[in-house]
Amino acid sequence: MRKVILTMFLAILSGLSFNTAAQNVSDLVISEIMPASGSSILDDYGRRNGWIEIYNKSQGTVNYAGCFFTDDRNNLKKSPITKSDARTKLGPRQVAVFYAGGDGSDGTFYTGFTLRAGSTVYLVSNDGRTIIDSLAIPADLPYGKSVMKVAADIRQQEFKVVDEPADPSPMIVNGSGNTESGSAKLAKEDPYGFVLTVVSIGVVFCALLVLWQLFALLGKMMNRNGGNNGGKPAKKVSKKAGKGSGNIDPEVAAAISMAIAQELGGETYAAIATAMHLYLDDSVHDNESFVITIKQKPSQWNSRGRGFRQLPK
Amino acid sequence: MNQIISSLQQFWQFTGFCNMTMGHIIMIAIGIVFITLAIKKEWEPLLLVPIGFGMIIGNIPMFPGLNIGVYEDGSVLNILYQGVRQGWYPPLIFLGIGAMTDFSALISQPRLILIGAAAQMGIFGAYLLALALGFAPNEAGAIGIIGGADGPTAIFLSSKLAPDLMGAIAVSAYSYMALVPVIQKPIMHLLTTKKERLIRMPAPRAVSQKEKIVFPIVGFLTTAFIVPSGLPLLGMLFFGNLLKESGVTRRLAETARGPLVDVITILIGVTVGCSTQADKFLTVNSVKIFLLGLLSFVIATTCGVLFVKFINLFLKEGHKINPLIGNAGVSAVPDSARVSEMAGREADPTNHLLMHAMGPNVAGVIGSAVAAGILLGFLG
Repeated sequence: MRKVILTMFLAILSGLSFNTAAQNVSDLVISEIMPASGSSILDDYGRRNGWIEIYNKSQGTVNYAGCFFTDDRNNLKKSPITKSDARTKLGPRQVAVFYAGGDGSDGTFYTGFTLRAGSTVYLVSNDGRTIIDSLAIPADLPYGKSVMKVAADIRQQEFKVVDEPADPSPMIVNGSGNTESGSAKLAKEDPYGFVLTVVSIGVVFCALLVLWQLFALLGKMMNRNGGNNGGKPAKKVSKKAGKGSGNIDPEVAAAISMAIAQELGGETYAAIATAMHLYLDDSVHDNESFVITIKQKPSQWNSRGRGFRQLPK
Repeated sequence: MNQIISSLQQFWQFTGFCNMTMGHIIMIAIGIVFITLAIKKEWEPLLLVPIGFGMIIGNIPMFPGLNIGVYEDGSVLNILYQGVRQGWYPPLIFLGIGAMTDFSALISQPRLILIGAAAQMGIFGAYLLALALGFAPNEAGAIGIIGGADGPTAIFLSSKLAPDLMGAIAVSAYSYMALVPVIQKPIMHLLTTKKERLIRMPAPRAVSQKEKIVFPIVGFLTTAFIVPSGLPLLGMLFFGNLLKESGVTRRLAETARGPLVDVITILIGVTVGCSTQADKFLTVNSVKIFLLGLLSFVIATTCGVLFVKFINLFLKEGHKINPLIGNAGVSAVPDSARVSEMAGREADPTNHLLMHAMGPNVAGVIGSAVAAGILLGFLG
């Protein structure tokens, strides 16, 4: 039975691991493509080329140096992105534009192929094998229009290709209307804050209610199994328990915790340990609350009589 | 000769005396007051001394463009301030808090967890009031978190939701945390009867080491799955506690609760203090934030105490909870628990509430982190 549970656990875990995405190049999306015909912007050389826009959907910076662009599924390394340019780092929720001029040697942000209607552009990981994202250019894309992906909800970061040809928006996060912050939304939808308050208090109570139930259950289970008390259920600490029995009176525990809170030093710990040892050994008397006084016990170390030179008999 | 005079005139323009304004003087005076309170009255000295001195550092009048100010990119203070601005320091403080907190009181009496939830109403009460005063929802959320009585959480949330208000929020949170005994005690007395203050609670049961080890794992999984946006704070808090309780990572736990938390406390205190530059701090909004901060503490304490009284309606005699531990639901650990202890002993010198109050107190830490996660999720 244990093996079955273990196998299921590992299977679930391995299944989850395939879906796990780190903040790396896999967080990049080809967000927009504009073919050469009717391109809206000029490149650094004054040419009107097509362009590819990529978007970092993660909350962290992504370095896409060493990745590839291609429009040929059989040649995934067609147009490499240089590894020697610091500008290949893309901040969270930022976009970068690459010009498809047909000559990758024009610069970091230029691809070695041009964009044709009806082709598909692939963004390939720096391993040269894994396709991170792709976007097909419709064969009937009208003049002056682009094809783009938009996040249905900027928080979910799920991107969908827009069915209709779009107006080009290079260097602008697509679907900016969806990037409205939670605060702006709430300002409109819940101006007095009552909904958020009720929901939040409910969630806080639920979270801690679940914790309460879990720990109540856990405590019962531990007591049933004996915890680490050698099979015996955990004992209630009675007021009189303590001296000589190894249990600590709540008052003493409180005094110790206050002392620890006051000063956290090695010497304090040593003093507390000594006090506890003496206390448990029945060597202290507590007349005052929250003060542990240690009764002096004569020993060979502190006996005055033994400190004196003995007169010869 | 003319050149010497011209150089001296130029030098004079570089000095703080030439660039000084009334705002600078006021802020330096506030910094000195903080340091004085910390040393003379011992009010949160570990925080008020660094914050107070940071205020003085941040408000030395200077010639602009020297690239030394906390708000100037690339300056040393600016680099250190990034830990606050980007929210790196608060989770590290939580790591230390986790490594130094004993959750036994909570584990032994899990029902007290709910008091930690009730006291979080201070956060949302202040949120509503801040909205009414004209703050935007994100700013109101950042201000509301002062009611959690948790400095690192306040800094973490305000750095995400309203970075411009962070200085005022942090100073307000830490100031009121230092004033917990002054604020909470009168409210507790006002809301409880003599009979209620005398309630004796049953002694907590002993907690096994296994339970202590399981607590951070189960606690983290539960809270993080419910509020993933609180991950940095909850993750570090429970991780620190696991280091402490596992028994096999003593060195790591000692580093987390000792040198690491000390270093971060110094950095967070000084840089938050530095961020309170007169031109950014001395505003009407800061006054409103201080007022709302005070009200949030009052609401949190009131709700905590009243919640215990409400629960007592359903509890049998002998199982009732002393309402004086209701205030401890705010996460000012262990100060608010100490207030419960002091108030309890005033009513009955033999009735010790500290260990009972520690339960809701540490639940308050978890509750405020959860509340911060919710606010971040909705308003971020």
